[in-house]
Amino acid sequence: MDELATEELVEITVTVNGTVHRERVSPRMHAADFLRQRLGLTGTHIGCEQGVCGMCTVLLDGEAVKGCLLLAPQLDGRELRTVESLAQGGELAPLQQAFKDCGGLQCGFCTPGFLMTATALRESGRRLDREQIREELSGVLCRCTGYDGILTAVDRVLNGEQR
Amino acid sequence: MKPAPFEYVRPSSVAEAVATLEAHGGMARVLAGGQSLVPMLGMRLMRPSAVVDINGLDAELGQIEARGAETTIGALVRYSEAEASPVIAERLPLLRTAIRYIGDRQVRNRGTLCGAVAQSDPTGEVALVALTLGATVVAQGPGGVRELAADGFFVGSYANALAPEEMITGLRFGVVPARGAFFERGRKHNDFALLSLAVAATPEPDGSWRDVRVGMGGINDTPVLARAAAARLEGQRWDEAALAEAAQLALEDADPPEDVRASAEYRAHLLPIHLRRLLLSLVEEPRHG
Repeated sequence: MDELATEELVEITVTVNGTVHRERVSPRMHAADFLRQRLGLTGTHIGCEQGVCGMCTVLLDGEAVKGCLLLAPQLDGRELRTVESLAQGGELAPLQQAFKDCGGLQCGFCTPGFLMTATALRESGRRLDREQIREELSGVLCRCTGYDGILTAVDRVLNGEQR
Repeated sequence: MKPAPFEYVRPSSVAEAVATLEAHGGMARVLAGGQSLVPMLGMRLMRPSAVVDINGLDAELGQIEARGAETTIGALVRYSEAEASPVIAERLPLLRTAIRYIGDRQVRNRGTLCGAVAQSDPTGEVALVALTLGATVVAQGPGGVRELAADGFFVGSYANALAPEEMITGLRFGVVPARGAFFERGRKHNDFALLSLAVAATPEPDGSWRDVRVGMGGINDTPVLARAAAARLEGQRWDEAALAEAAQLALEDADPPEDVRASAEYRAHLLPIHLRRLLLSLVEEPRHG
């Protein structure tokens, strides 16, 4: 570990779920590790750590990005939102409730990634059909549900019950 | 933390970024979108002495500029921005189509077109379109600005003509043919392409076609132009025989790799079939991109 003794840390100021944090980070640390290890926000999961599985999806200034492909120093001056920001006062957000109602999760490991990707989609205000939603969500992998419940949940929140 | 230690540098100008690259004697890497670089750091496929984060240089590098017949895409333009840009939709519909085959939403929100060109992945969609449409790579180094034609820029698998202390500042397109189409086949959605094809040409009133371009990805260690195929079609009416012959001629410029995704034989099998169909799609409907 001697090589690390000389490593220069980078000071960052980042807003996470509305709270401002000032931290000194290693440039080698990625954003998902930063959230979990430094801030204790373990709702953001880590799967492949190479940008394939989408488990670590968070919102960077409102855009869905993969936390493992972002170095912690890059968070300086930015705003992050994680799955912990969704439920308010113990009340599930509409997307979370829809996932619950539609069988949009089983083991739950991928759920934060889907919820944050879908949150960005919902906030974009774009009108999307089911196939377009499928395409937009394709950057998060699920090994339990077969995706159908997830699609139904997101479709329901984006487009309303009647569809 | 998986990457090897590196110095993190956040320059305040392109000139400062280039000075940093020079100071590190070619051992530093530029971080733009990071969608290829960061995984490679994690796998320690790259162990740069410094990572030069250019994400603060939006004023210099973040624009899509339409000037006269030319369209220049700055080094910080993300795929999602290009995808949503009316300028790209109007001027470079083929590029817009190709972008939809890149990564997924999260990757496209961060990844940059110029970063893809720098990465020079043999299956890269942007590299293929840049080559097919005759784009120019604009780079800045200690000696100043250099302009490199996309044809000749890609020199090997993940290798290009940039000097180690140079960085790409933009990708410039000129006038492109009136019609274009793109095809990609991978093992699964969002995976690296087994075969990708970009074609472009302009139909003449007499039924012939001019300015024919045929580009192929995943079929060599760089994206390549199918020159023999394009020559067969240039100035010709595209009847069944011409299309079939051109599709076969494309194999002359292909040297398909054998890897975990597909055999060389399978790639060679796919090429003429899908090239013929793609060319036919240009004839059958006036689609743009």
